[in-house]
Amino acid sequence: MSDKIIINGKEQTVDVDGNMPLLWYLRDELNLTGTKFGCGMALCGACTVHINGEAVRSCVTPVNQAVGKQVTTIEGLSDSGDHPLQRAWIEHKVPQCGYCQAGQIMNAASLLAQNPTPTQEEIEQGMQGNICRCGTYNRIKNAIASAAVQMQEVKS
Amino acid sequence: MSVFKLSRRDFLRVSGTAAGGVALGVMLPAGNATAGHSEHFEPNAFVLIDSEGNTTIHCGRCEMGQGISTALPAAVADELEADWSRVTVLQADGDSDKYGPQATGGSRSINTMYVPMREAGASARMMLVTAAAKIWQAEVDDCYAENHFVYNRKLKARLSYGELAAIAAELPVPEKPALKTKDQYRYIGKPLPRHDLGKVVVGERTYGIDTRIPGMKFAAIKHVPVYGGSVKSFDASEAEAMKGVEKVVNIPRFQAPYGSLGGIAVVANNTWTAQQALAKVKIEWDRGPHGGYNTNAYKAAMVEQVEKPAKPVFKRGDLKAAFDAAKVTHSATYVQGHLSHSPMEPMVSLVSVTEDACEVWASTQDPEGIQRTLGAYLGRAPKDILVHVMISGGAFGRKFKCDYVQEAAALSQAVGAPVQLAWSREEDTKTGYYHSTSVQHLEGAVDSEGNVTGWLHRSAFPTIASTFDPSIEWPREQELGAVINHPYGIRNLEVESGHAPAHTRIGWYRAVRALFEGFAFNSFTDELAYQSGMDSLEFFRKLYHNNKDPDQAEQVERSLAVLELAAEKGGWGKELPQNQGLGIAVHYSFESYLAMVVQVEVIGDDIKVHRVDCAVDCGEVLNTDGATAQMEGAVVMGMSLALYTEISFRDGEVVNSNFHDYPVLRTSEVPPIINVHFAENDYKATGLGEPGVPTFAPALTNAIFAATGKRYRSLPIKPVYS
Repeated sequence: MSDKIIINGKEQTVDVDGNMPLLWYLRDELNLTGTKFGCGMALCGACTVHINGEAVRSCVTPVNQAVGKQVTTIEGLSDSGDHPLQRAWIEHKVPQCGYCQAGQIMNAASLLAQNPTPTQEEIEQGMQGNICRCGTYNRIKNAIASAAVQMQEVKS
Repeated sequence: MSVFKLSRRDFLRVSGTAAGGVALGVMLPAGNATAGHSEHFEPNAFVLIDSEGNTTIHCGRCEMGQGISTALPAAVADELEADWSRVTVLQADGDSDKYGPQATGGSRSINTMYVPMREAGASARMMLVTAAAKIWQAEVDDCYAENHFVYNRKLKARLSYGELAAIAAELPVPEKPALKTKDQYRYIGKPLPRHDLGKVVVGERTYGIDTRIPGMKFAAIKHVPVYGGSVKSFDASEAEAMKGVEKVVNIPRFQAPYGSLGGIAVVANNTWTAQQALAKVKIEWDRGPHGGYNTNAYKAAMVEQVEKPAKPVFKRGDLKAAFDAAKVTHSATYVQGHLSHSPMEPMVSLVSVTEDACEVWASTQDPEGIQRTLGAYLGRAPKDILVHVMISGGAFGRKFKCDYVQEAAALSQAVGAPVQLAWSREEDTKTGYYHSTSVQHLEGAVDSEGNVTGWLHRSAFPTIASTFDPSIEWPREQELGAVINHPYGIRNLEVESGHAPAHTRIGWYRAVRALFEGFAFNSFTDELAYQSGMDSLEFFRKLYHNNKDPDQAEQVERSLAVLELAAEKGGWGKELPQNQGLGIAVHYSFESYLAMVVQVEVIGDDIKVHRVDCAVDCGEVLNTDGATAQMEGAVVMGMSLALYTEISFRDGEVVNSNFHDYPVLRTSEVPPIINVHFAENDYKATGLGEPGVPTFAPALTNAIFAATGKRYRSLPIKPVYS
């Protein structure tokens, strides 16, 4: 079996116990600390990354499940921090402590990839798994809605 | 207040840049600072401009999401007439001699540091202007600063701050810097974005948990599950045999207010290995003296206690006569549980202890507390502990206590390497410093005109003081100050306290006692209004108008103003659809005034908040967006604690463990409309980290009562472990 993972476009050879959660592999082995630990049980969404474009909770995803796949973290979401969601996050001044926001943005990016024109209810359903203790929820929803509009405008 | 210029040596040491800059510090007279837990009273902070004009502003206070690292530096930059895009904000290391009291809590940062920070900026600006005048051999009055340049009106010339820095650095510091007037503000009072927003969205803002240094190890810990217990025995043979495990360490309880509870920790080459190995350590605990703590029984016993005469604390007038003459009398008992702060980033720090040095990187609200605690633990001078203050991924009062830092120090000592200890969510939930559970029994007498003539207030709660001195088993008089200095005009008042020994560590939680005081005051006022057949707003007005105490005149005026503002904006009295109701609450805490109107719809068990209107008087508002964000967050946290959050103990142990059984508010339940209205006045700027929270829960329960006739007197409304 191959032991390669493409992380943010860069090939990595996995040389740790395959049961190690992807979260700790990213943070402790690769020093990609943008992905955060929050609960360790897929309850809060702070650790959300993409595997082949789909949002997963990296705290409960063994690294061997990512072998042979493309992993995207917040550091690799866009080339220069200009994903429409990243821009919308700044425009709406979303973050307070900011700790959960990488997970929120990664989750939202996957949501918009699957459903480019979500309703308010669909945004809420899609983001229900991501906790923010500072209470930035409404700004998050507004930022997602405005990023969705922007992405549609770019397309058309 | 005096301003001093740092020595060249200090300047170079701190800036690390080439020569040719101006560095200013600010010193407050002793006694002016009010950091309750600080031993130091010599605040200072500074500005640095290099020869290129690059400007660094240090933030002495700790950033945890409240935005202080934008609000205070922006005040400096405004007075400095700095171009904000040329400003880099740096979080200052722990050094209270240089930066002033850094303990960040009690919503005190703005109260204590706003004016000194402005004076720091204004002093630097005046020095730059004077330097330019010198170069031009012009009158200072013909020169003025604007957006990183000094201009000469007569010569129509300008010099950049970078060009002026070296000359300005040689000038004396002005005795009394002239501050701007409101109309001259560039950043103050504007919705300035946080200085490092761009870093957040790309994952580059480094929190305590993100610290990485060469040679560091990672650790996991399991604490003694019962407060005061200890490790009886443990078998680490299986864990120590695991690849990557460095050491299994028994950390004994450190009996200091911010010391470790004690437990077993594993140091390893990564977090995962440490966690896996920890699970394999077989531990037997000695459960200690608090193994009988059961919160439901404890609350019931406190209720029983306050529903009969308790220990008198304060008395005025003749309460019995007031009740005898009353038209309406009413009583109610309010109950609240323990709360865990549960910031998204758990307790974490990296510590390196060597024979001659100790260096700390910690998510913290109190670097001085770390210096004191580690100083005591290691037997070294507090000043010898170097603390790098890292940005906290939330804190809410929890990161004021540095038990997790002392543990990392113990581990670093044990393995002779830098160790980062990150608590699991379970440890954060189970072994914290909890907001006190509380009961309050109130009895009120109302005369025929709707005046409250008598008020009895009996409180019982394990006090924060018990964490510092376990012999304290009653709320102290100063902890009942908000009741004794009653906000309403009540002629006959009695305050009593109940016996409430602590069986766990009690600590500050965002808004502290105001959480339960605000709940009791506002709930009971609404109840009395209803019993008297009066409109709640009208009843509140009467209570405040009846307060003729000249010492409370300002409190009355400002409370009434936010009450009216919230009522007006929230549409008090408007027609609502079936199953909907409005609730109102007003509370003064941490020198700021808050009122809220909550609009709720209740169908069965489903409680849906449609709208919240917040009226805020925190004096001058430094950053309208930051203040608004604080209120949005206060509503969300207020709704979490009103509906869900409670830490429950059984047999001395916390039952809750993670976000499934300590549920916090999620996005679908957040009120879709949260309006924040600021009172316009010229009062001095005060803090807003905490004062927003206390009004939400009572405004909500008052609204639920209006909608359904059901009165909730116990929070949370939907406890997980009832």
